[in-house]
Amino acid sequence: MSNKQDGKRMMKNYDTDDTFLGRWIAGELSEEERIAFEKTDVFKQFDFINKESQLLQGPNIDTEAALKKVKQQLETKPRKPKVVKLWQYMAVASIVIISAGFFINSSKTYTTAIGETQTITLIDGSVINLNANSSLSHKRYFLSKDKQVTLTGEAYFTITKGDGFRVETSKGTVEVLGTQFNIRDREDFNLKCYEGKVRLNSSKTQKSNYVLTQGMQVSISSSKTSETIFKEETPSWKQGHSTFVDQPISNVLEELIHYYPIEFETNSINTNRLFTGSFIHSNLDTALKATLIPMGIEYKKSDTGNVIVLSE
Amino acid sequence: MPEKEPSICEEKNYNKLFRDYYEPVTKYIYYKCGNLQQAEDIVQNVFIKLWKLCATVTFSKAKSYIYTASNHSFFNEVAHKKVVLKHQKTIIENTTHESPDFLMEIDEFRDKLKNAINTLNPKEREVFLLSRIENKTYKEIAEITELTVKAIERRMGKALKELKAILGKELKL
Repeated sequence: MSNKQDGKRMMKNYDTDDTFLGRWIAGELSEEERIAFEKTDVFKQFDFINKESQLLQGPNIDTEAALKKVKQQLETKPRKPKVVKLWQYMAVASIVIISAGFFINSSKTYTTAIGETQTITLIDGSVINLNANSSLSHKRYFLSKDKQVTLTGEAYFTITKGDGFRVETSKGTVEVLGTQFNIRDREDFNLKCYEGKVRLNSSKTQKSNYVLTQGMQVSISSSKTSETIFKEETPSWKQGHSTFVDQPISNVLEELIHYYPIEFETNSINTNRLFTGSFIHSNLDTALKATLIPMGIEYKKSDTGNVIVLSE
Repeated sequence: MPEKEPSICEEKNYNKLFRDYYEPVTKYIYYKCGNLQQAEDIVQNVFIKLWKLCATVTFSKAKSYIYTASNHSFFNEVAHKKVVLKHQKTIIENTTHESPDFLMEIDEFRDKLKNAINTLNPKEREVFLLSRIENKTYKEIAEITELTVKAIERRMGKALKELKAILGKELKL
C-alpha cells in the first residue's frame, strides 16, 4: 500500500483532509488527487457504499392529496383571525383574573385524623395546636385586620397580641383579646383561657357574650352553660392525655374515639355515671383499662378489633 | 423597475409553490426526524401559514421561507427516529459477479447499509441523504440547512468515513 502513495509527496487524502471525501462525491477532486485515491485499497469500499446509497429511495409522498388536505383546512379556518384573537385574549385574561381571585379568596384547611395532632403556624406568627380528629380552616391570605379561622374539634391557640383574631365555632365566635386559649367544639363545647383575655359571642347561651381571663372557662352542653374556674396551666391533651373531673362516662367514650380508631357498643351500660380520672393517647389498652375498670365496666373487642362491646 | 413578482395570494401561484416544494421539503424534514406523518404535518402547517402570509412573502422568497419555517418548527418537535429507506429494484449493471451467492449477499449488505445510515449523527444523515438520494448539490443543501458548502463537504466526508468503518469489513472487494 505504501508504495502506491509514494511519489505523490504530501498529497492530501481522505484521512488528512476532512473535505476530501465530500469533494470526491461531488467530483471536485483534482485529477491528481482522484487518480491517487482510486489506487488505494479503501477506494473500492467507498465507491461501493456510494453506488449502493444512490440506489436508495426515500418515502413516497402524495403531493396532490396533501394539497387537498391543506385546502380543506384553509376553508374550515375562515380568515378573520384578528377578531377571534381579541376574544381569545379576553377569555384568557378573564380566566386569569377570576382564578387569581379564587386563589386569593381560597381557604386553607388543616385536618387531623384520629389520634393525630398538628401544629400550625399562621403568617402573622400565631401558633395553633390542632388536637386529634379536628379541622381548622382560614383564608389563604389575611386581609387587613380580619383574621378569622373556623374550627371544628379542638385546638389550643397562642395568638400574637393586639389584633382582631376570631375563631368561628358551632356555638359562636371566640374573639381574641389576649393570647392563649383552648377551644373544644365537639359534642360539648368548652372554652378555656390560659393567658390574656378572650370573648365568646354566642347566640346559643343565656348571656350574649362571655369575657374570659386567665383561669376561666365556659362549657356549653345541650342542657346548660356554665362558667367555672380551672387550675391547669396547659390543656392535658397537649401532654398526651385527657383528664376528666366528674364527667359523664359518655363524654369519656366520645373523647376516646378522637384518639383511637374505635367505636363503642354502649347499649348495656349507663353512660350517665360520672368519671374522674384520665387516659393516655398513645396506648389503647392502657387507656381502656384506665377509664373502664375503675367504673366497673367490662369490655370485649369484636373480631374486627374496632368495636368495643361494653357491659357492667 | 424590476418586473412585478407573481402574488402567492393567487391560487395558481400558491399551487405551483406547493407542487414544487411540498415533496422535497417533506423528505428533508423526514430525513431529519424519521417520522413521515410528523414531517407531513409540519410542512402542511407551514403551507397553511404561507397562505395566511401570502401578502407579505414574495414569490422569490417563498422557497427559503418554506424551508426555514419547516426547519424551525421541526426544532420545536421531538426526537429523531429511524428513517425507513427502500432500495430501488434495479441492480448495478457494471458488477461482474452476479452469482446467486452474490445476490444473497448484496441483499444482506443493503439491509446493513440502511441500518448503518440510521446510526449516523442526524446532521450527517440528512446531508448524506439529500445528496445521495435527492441528488441535491452541496450548494442547494447549504441553502436548505443554512450552512456553508465547506460544512456540507465535511459532514459528507464524515458520513462516508463512518459508513466505511461500519461496513468496510463486510466488503471483500
